[in-house]
Amino acid sequence: MTEMVNEQNEKDVYVRAYTAMVLSRTFDKKIVTAQRQGRIGFYTPSIGQEATQVGFSMALDQKDIIFQYYRDVALMIHRGVPIEVILDQIMGNEEDESKGRQMPSHYTAKKYNFMSVQSPVATNLPLAVGAAYALRYQKKDTVVVATFGDGSTSTPDFHAAMNLAAVFNLPVVFLCENNGWAISLPTDKQTKVEISEKAAAYGMKGIKVDGNNFIETYRAAMDAVERARTGKGPTLIDAISFRMGAHSTSDDPSKYRSESVEEGSEKDPITVAEDQLKSLGYLNDSLIAKIKEESVKIVNDKFDIQEKIPPPEPKTMFDDVYAEKNWIIKEEEDDIL
Amino acid sequence: MNMVQALNSTLDHVMSKDSSVILLGEDIGKDGGVFRVTEGLQGKYGEERVIDTPLVELGIVGMSVGMSLMGVKAIPEIQFQDFIYTAFDQIINQMAKMRYRSGGGFTLPMVLRTPYGGGIKGGLYHSQSGEAYFAHTAGLVVVTPSNPYDAKGLLLSSVESPDPVIFLEPKRLYRAAKVEVPDEDFRVRIGEAAKPMEGDDITVVTYGSMVPTVLNTMKKNSVNADVIDLRTLLPMDVNAIISSVKKTGRVVIVHEAPRTLGMGAEISALISERAIEYLYAPILRVTGPDIPFPYRLEDYYMPNETRIMKAVNRVMEFR
Repeated sequence: MTEMVNEQNEKDVYVRAYTAMVLSRTFDKKIVTAQRQGRIGFYTPSIGQEATQVGFSMALDQKDIIFQYYRDVALMIHRGVPIEVILDQIMGNEEDESKGRQMPSHYTAKKYNFMSVQSPVATNLPLAVGAAYALRYQKKDTVVVATFGDGSTSTPDFHAAMNLAAVFNLPVVFLCENNGWAISLPTDKQTKVEISEKAAAYGMKGIKVDGNNFIETYRAAMDAVERARTGKGPTLIDAISFRMGAHSTSDDPSKYRSESVEEGSEKDPITVAEDQLKSLGYLNDSLIAKIKEESVKIVNDKFDIQEKIPPPEPKTMFDDVYAEKNWIIKEEEDDIL
Repeated sequence: MNMVQALNSTLDHVMSKDSSVILLGEDIGKDGGVFRVTEGLQGKYGEERVIDTPLVELGIVGMSVGMSLMGVKAIPEIQFQDFIYTAFDQIINQMAKMRYRSGGGFTLPMVLRTPYGGGIKGGLYHSQSGEAYFAHTAGLVVVTPSNPYDAKGLLLSSVESPDPVIFLEPKRLYRAAKVEVPDEDFRVRIGEAAKPMEGDDITVVTYGSMVPTVLNTMKKNSVNADVIDLRTLLPMDVNAIISSVKKTGRVVIVHEAPRTLGMGAEISALISERAIEYLYAPILRVTGPDIPFPYRLEDYYMPNETRIMKAVNRVMEFR
């Protein structure tokens, strides 16, 4: 195993990771509540996947490129994407990078090397493969990551991307954030074999890891990222976690699911992280309480500020279809506005 | 040179000028592509820049999108347009929408080349004309040359386009005609139609594989026609169509793709909206029928002189 961090830094790195997990959880709870209040249209929470996302993020460089899916708020927060940027997208306001064009949870954060999220699942995977090819061609020391859920592994895009990445031996890490569910379907109705085992069929390394444990996920990610960075090719990580809530705010899991995970239970990845960090002596109850309190204040304050930002001007909806508007779009713009 | 030679030498030229250009597709390397458009290029530029990919259209398009996002100019080839449908999601949901959904942050200057259309005894999976699917999608540019000169000029413009281009090559015309193609760079502007024949009596709007058929028919039957070769299907040159219709007052539209909701329907609607008061006769369409493409009977499928003249005569004789 690669030396992860030196001991002096380890406390800072781990506490920072924990703080990102808490901030993400606080954010998710706030947005789900706001959706119930009619202040937000839709949301796909990351609740239950914080350790997977943060543990993975810890292994990456800032220059690495992420083709993320729609459930990666903890990953974004840990990578330094400001809460405001995430809120602007969810609200679709005039400061949203995509100008209010996509439904909530479809983020773009170019400055932070997050690409642009699409709704059809797994179609980001072939893009990640192409990006990795281009970056290697340009002799850049950059790793490309694609994240997706377990449902994505059933798609042709998944198989195409895995095969291409392996054939071309590309610096890609595929992170399956396996939370056990693809909307209403459990993983065992999605696939007959372990997802990590699929890697062997393509000739790449597959790693199954406890995605509720951020340190274990971090180690697995370090291994995969190093393989990518040193020319040893792609890796598929199957990070097993537990979707604690609904697929989205439009979903009612009580229709298809009997068991649930309570916040603060021993299956909650944040509780797992607290136990780990307490036993390492990096956290105590008062520090935990302080981090949680600060998270609530940050999220509430930023939500109230961003909520006041108006929607984009109607005329902006005709921008960016092409580099320049063609006559068709110009005419339709004149007609409608 | 013929169209294959024009495309080949243009790709060669573009690659020699710009090291960020990468070609990818099935059998495009040693084999030079099944139509030989990329012949010799892998030998010259290496396997890293002329990539023989595994057999997966959605992967070829998806990879090209990812490459282009990173500043590589990807020029993928789909062996036959008929095989593009497994990559349809990548084209419609990724390629066409990247600029829009990222608020202009991410752009995709890529050119997706593919041969299309019938006339080569290819049966129903090697003969389809799917241009309407692409021309219905905001975010794409769709072009189709009808001769070697335009093939070079349009390809150079497409490579320079800041937007993703679907470059449809009428395979029936790949080796149909040899014309003079200048060595030096020249551009055929995207969005600009050509008028290979001028006349006052009738406007015939066509493009791609049907252009030579229409021109031969008009010449042979001494029709005094204004023939418009669209060259770009999205965005099409509406001014060229309307100004011609205002002159002639009579219109026939000819394309190989099926009629229902094809390009002809759009052209006809544009004329109705803008120039109905100039029309002396209904607008007629001569197209492929709304059936899958038949192998042994392809000569009956594709618009020919007889069918074109039948429509022209109906329009000319309408009172």
